[in-house]
Amino acid sequence: MALVNYECLGPSQVILKYGKCLELVPLDKHFENISVGLYVKHRTCTVWSFSNKTGTEKRITQIRNLLVDMGGMEKVPNTNNQAFLACGEPHNRALRFLMSQAVNRSPESKIENDLVEVKDTKSDLTIHPQHLERDQSHIYKINLNGEHKNKALRMRMIIAGFLRYGEMDKISDNEIAFSCRKRHDGLIRLLTPYSRNISSMETMMAAEDMRGQMTTSTLGFSQT
Amino acid sequence: MSDISDIESMTPKQRVLNALNGKPVDRTPVANPTNVATVELMDLVDAPFPKACQDPELAAKLAATGYTELGFDSISPYFSIIQESSALGCEMQWEDKDNWPTVRMYNPIWKDSSDINIPSNFLKHRDVKAITESIRILRAEYGDEVAIIGKTMGPWTLAYHVFGVESFLLGTIDNPEETMKCLEKLKEISILFGQVQIDAGADALTFPDHATGDLVSGEYYKRFLKDIHTEMVTELPVPLILHICGRTLDRMPYIAETGMASFHFDSKNDPQESMDAVNGKIGLVGNINNPETLYARGPDEVRQEVYKCLEAGVQMIAPECAIPLATKIENLIEIPMAVKDWTAERKN
Repeated sequence: MALVNYECLGPSQVILKYGKCLELVPLDKHFENISVGLYVKHRTCTVWSFSNKTGTEKRITQIRNLLVDMGGMEKVPNTNNQAFLACGEPHNRALRFLMSQAVNRSPESKIENDLVEVKDTKSDLTIHPQHLERDQSHIYKINLNGEHKNKALRMRMIIAGFLRYGEMDKISDNEIAFSCRKRHDGLIRLLTPYSRNISSMETMMAAEDMRGQMTTSTLGFSQT
Repeated sequence: MSDISDIESMTPKQRVLNALNGKPVDRTPVANPTNVATVELMDLVDAPFPKACQDPELAAKLAATGYTELGFDSISPYFSIIQESSALGCEMQWEDKDNWPTVRMYNPIWKDSSDINIPSNFLKHRDVKAITESIRILRAEYGDEVAIIGKTMGPWTLAYHVFGVESFLLGTIDNPEETMKCLEKLKEISILFGQVQIDAGADALTFPDHATGDLVSGEYYKRFLKDIHTEMVTELPVPLILHICGRTLDRMPYIAETGMASFHFDSKNDPQESMDAVNGKIGLVGNINNPETLYARGPDEVRQEVYKCLEAGVQMIAPECAIPLATKIENLIEIPMAVKDWTAERKN
């Protein structure tokens, strides 16, 4: 038997069939530490793992269903691993966060369906996104509830977070919208905790990115 | 446009060995002197870290995917930089599948040259045999068609591991004679481990010795390492690929005089400036950027860097160092594809 031997599609076939890997979660703590990728071709997102471990297919289905339940994606009929955004636009940055959350969240945890309030991490304010429809465009108004000496500054920073992590458009000082101008409550719900603190998010993402990198720094062979 | 199959007349092994020996090639080889394993490839062949660093069959399976799945011209089963140090007794942090095993250098095992001692069972240690036996397996399976590249750590890197980085570097200032004694004794480990890999069937050896631009100067390289590296060319009778991370332009002229076959260089060094610095006295292999390009960007950016190396005349194309374990496979596959396209474009 050949040394390299597997039953699933090979890497080249996966890329050809399912497209580019938008997000790769290296370790699924909730299932056998497998790696899971979100591959995208045209409008279709495919959850894929090269693992042959028993139960992988079931776990892939679970993750796909979380993309639907958490992010408002729609299932591709007759598939267990594919979904798409009905608006037809990619929203890649938001989808990366969605994939990461879908793999990393406990399968038992409850999924919120409302646009709930989220505590601000830099003040006593709470952030409450509110959906509005205006001139056939779907807009999200960001409400900051509570008192703070510089509420306007916090609003600017939080809006900047949505623009950065959701690749959204600024409509007014406290309103944002996705480029498709469609309704994506699931994505807004997902993006709100990220958007409240850009600097700590950047630090966290940089730390995540360094994991698995072999550099003079990670090896301890540098001054930093 | 020419089809690449009309151009390729060599086996991957012939291509790599010719490039290492300064002979003509049908196209520039794509090599991996360090590592091209990723978490997805680990899943594909069920050979996850850290087990794939400890078990010869898993190491061989995972390493082989660099050839069978990615299309590289060489196979390298020594993924990390810790195998010898583990066998010497260093305290290890093996980590999970998604991170590199490391030596806990804050807890060094030795204080000075008098402590240096190669354990009698060194060659029988699990983490040494993982490499030698994996080379044997790869040799049997792919030995006629693909270049098998082993790896033996140089004395400078071993010194970091066994003495701790800070302690060792301070010693180079306080007592350079003692530093030389340490390096002379540690090089015996490099030779011993390198030779058993040659005996097992390695066609070439990578020789990482982290006298990196971040920590030491070019003059330090000349003073402490140049002669040892020159000696290695005689001691280890296969083409040697020296690997040093970071900015190394200041030491490239010295490295070029060691007689080693190739220098695996970092993306912090411009390919054309590097080619000028070595002035044809040593081949270069590299230097596709890992953290920004291979890890975070896409095939288009990878292709641009490959082309830049090819335009500069770099003799073998490779990632600059061991790739991030979560690198997307499409970016790795792009490296050989870009080399083939570039070659075909220029044959027209």
